[in-house]
Amino acid sequence: MKKLNRRSFIKGGLATTAAAAVLKEKTSVASGDFDNYPEGMGVIVDLTRCVGCRSCEAACNKEQGLPEPAEPFDDFSVFDQIHHGQKRRTDESKYTVVNRYDPPEIDHPLFRKIQCNHCNEPACLTSCFVNAYTKTPEGAVIYNSKVCVGCRTCMVACPFYIPTFKYSKAFTPKIMKCIFCYDTRLKNGKPPACVEACPQEALTFGKRKDVLKIGKQRIRETPGKYVDHIYGEHEVGGTAWMYLSSVPFDKVGFDTHVPKEPIINSVKEFLAMVPMVLTIWPGLFVGFHLLATRKDKIKELEMEKEAKAKKANENDKKEEQV
Amino acid sequence: MKLFSTERPEIPIVNHTKEDGSAWTIKEKLWLGLSVNEYKKQFFRNPVNWFMMMICAIGLPLILGRYAFGLGWVTHASNDYPWGLFLGFGLFGMVPLSASGFMLGTTVELFGRKDFHSIERLALLNGLLGYFFAVLFLEVDLGMPWRLPYPMFVSLGPAAVLFLVAWHVATYLSVQIAEVLPALFEWMGWLKGKRMIRKWVLGLTVAGIILSTLHQGALGALFTYAPAKIHPLWVSAQFTWIHFFVSSIFGGLSMVIIASTLIKNYMGWRCDEEFKSNLDYVTIGMAKGASLAMITYLVIKIVAVAHDQEWTYLLTGWGSYYMLELTVAVVLPMFMFAIGVRNNWVTLIRAGAFIAALGIIWNRLNTSLVCFNWQMYQEIPHWKEVWITVTIYAIYFMTYRFIVYRLPIVYEWKGER
Amino acid sequence: MQTRKKILRTAIALTTGALLFAPGLALAMDADDAPESITIDSMANLYSAVEFDHLMHTEYASCAECHHHTTGVPVADPNCIRCHAYTPEGDDVSCTGCHEANRFDKEYLDTLNDPQIYHIDKPGLKGAYHLNCIGCHEAIDGPTGCQDCHTMTEAGEERFDTGKHAPAGGSSGAHH
Repeated sequence: MKKLNRRSFIKGGLATTAAAAVLKEKTSVASGDFDNYPEGMGVIVDLTRCVGCRSCEAACNKEQGLPEPAEPFDDFSVFDQIHHGQKRRTDESKYTVVNRYDPPEIDHPLFRKIQCNHCNEPACLTSCFVNAYTKTPEGAVIYNSKVCVGCRTCMVACPFYIPTFKYSKAFTPKIMKCIFCYDTRLKNGKPPACVEACPQEALTFGKRKDVLKIGKQRIRETPGKYVDHIYGEHEVGGTAWMYLSSVPFDKVGFDTHVPKEPIINSVKEFLAMVPMVLTIWPGLFVGFHLLATRKDKIKELEMEKEAKAKKANENDKKEEQV
Repeated sequence: MKLFSTERPEIPIVNHTKEDGSAWTIKEKLWLGLSVNEYKKQFFRNPVNWFMMMICAIGLPLILGRYAFGLGWVTHASNDYPWGLFLGFGLFGMVPLSASGFMLGTTVELFGRKDFHSIERLALLNGLLGYFFAVLFLEVDLGMPWRLPYPMFVSLGPAAVLFLVAWHVATYLSVQIAEVLPALFEWMGWLKGKRMIRKWVLGLTVAGIILSTLHQGALGALFTYAPAKIHPLWVSAQFTWIHFFVSSIFGGLSMVIIASTLIKNYMGWRCDEEFKSNLDYVTIGMAKGASLAMITYLVIKIVAVAHDQEWTYLLTGWGSYYMLELTVAVVLPMFMFAIGVRNNWVTLIRAGAFIAALGIIWNRLNTSLVCFNWQMYQEIPHWKEVWITVTIYAIYFMTYRFIVYRLPIVYEWKGER
Repeated sequence: MQTRKKILRTAIALTTGALLFAPGLALAMDADDAPESITIDSMANLYSAVEFDHLMHTEYASCAECHHHTTGVPVADPNCIRCHAYTPEGDDVSCTGCHEANRFDKEYLDTLNDPQIYHIDKPGLKGAYHLNCIGCHEAIDGPTGCQDCHTMTEAGEERFDTGKHAPAGGSSGAHH
């Protein structure tokens, strides 16, 4: 190795510190919190009201200009479709899906509509490295396909398995997911198409805080009708779409093990460590380097000394002989 | 090659000048000093090349098809399993096995262990190629690969872990290119360039440690975005990034042991005496380091289980699988390393390195595929996906070999340096 | 306290019973006052209008079961009785009188901001019809299929990709 002189050492050190500073600036925003939009809209889905008519699926399909379905929307055999042991899910041709459940506790089936829950602190948004997602003040989680790279981390991060990818396209793939009818309706103060289509008013639209109140009122005023829990009130930090059910939520396909905090909280442990590594590592390892090479230096010096002493000794001997 | 080297003592090229005093041209250097016909002859004589060509004959059209018809044509287009082999193996598996660059860079340049000098360049090259091909794998997997620079320049999402990965891999790739360039400059005979970079070596090395710590960890932290999807034994908010980082230490070292073993056995003509005579010594040294990292890793693995209160999971089927992974992928090679180090049994160490490297890939595949959606169903990758993965790995192998054949990686340049 | 409540409850029950069987009471509407048939067409689009045989339905249910407290016939729901025990016949007893057709439009939602309003959860018109009708039909085994009450229009077939607009190769019309 080339011996380091003082100047080149300082140069190297400065370079790393500068690099660290630049990188640190970028990551310091990392653990920032999102503003919660108090006026954001929401929907409460009442499973006891849904009759599985699939009107919401049909309305969504037309509103969002999605491709023609494989089966008509009044075909109820789709409830028996099983793929990999799973009931139907969202994909590039459907943003919302209704599934039938037959919990043994009750004598009639329950239907559960799935769509994007529009989280308060969406995992898709916080995991996206190109900021393709936005939580709008109206409560919708929308997506910008113009900047998306197609890494699909949002799909990994979404605890509800909602975002889907247009795998079928080679040149124009994108994430396909419910956007709360943001650009055609929500923005203009209108409910999403599915809500408007629901004959049973199983979907109640309003400000999130208001529909939450409605949900609580229903639980309180009709004792025994509902389990005392609103799915989405606290799940993953709260979602704009919430659910009421007459049977425990895990009996109707809900994941009751999702964390109560936003998904980003489980990543914060790592994000908090990033600035520390950036600031401590350079000094620490340059220090190690100095310590490690100092030993060599001392050895060198000692060897020089020994050599000198030897020489002196030899000289002495010579003198003696003389 | 042996055939030619007996007939022509000037081959393999280790110097700028031929026997007769004239200089090798770059073109001649690229052809290894052989005529085109001689080169072809030695190329087709090697059965490995036939095997590689067979893989590519099917794999390259498949890759073209992926770009023409979309990911859905080569994968199962799963929305439940957004990530498959391209990332599970190519990114999450290749990157830890490429931690060698910063490991030996640190050992030699920072800690002044000049006794590991003979392996340093191989370790740096191993790192550089591993990262480069991880990025290639990523380019196959990304839906819009032409937008790779977007997180850097177009639309920044700095709060995301993947943003850190992107930046750190990109900067670290540059650092590694800078670290390997001196070998290229020596070979080309451009000494000015080499000296310029040598001045920055400490800065580059320290930058390498920082960036490696962060993005090896960040790859693990990516999985903490899915705390409810991955089996709790394989993911932990507090510890996954540490697991990924620490395992990359022995992963990278094991990979260098494997590469050096293959080079020593099948490319002996290219190695110089220093490399050959030192190899057993540095292999034992690296095994020592790797076994220390492994015991650290095991401890943190157990700490994670204890901290997250996951003991009961160990009694389930998943728990047995977890124990199997730890035993075969870590404990077994750890003992092989330890026994090998104690008794100077280098062959045992080399076998251990092979197991440890496969173990790292196994662990990453477990985290990203096997134990992902553990309460759902198991995704079996499409055969085209498997074939493309193997093809890119084959190209990685050939590129690796191409460079080691030529640049002063396992031999010292005899000309001006 | 408990006994007082009990007495009160019994009293209410008795009064309710008495009122139900006292057709001559001036405040209450009578089934005979009601129209024989009603055309429900205010939202007919995907489905054709419903010809609702009102007379026939009065044989199955008391006025209050559908019209709550507005017909002057007292309600049985103890929660409603708290406020509506003695409400007289309303000016408008039709569903549209109370239930908003555009239940989720901003204008209506804004009216719910008034903290004094108790009925923040009043169903919209379409919800009121379907919840009331289907709820009862399910209980007494009445027809519950969509087209049992209203046939799908051309626009409906287009919306549901069925009938003329069914996807090629798909089956259609398999009602449950």
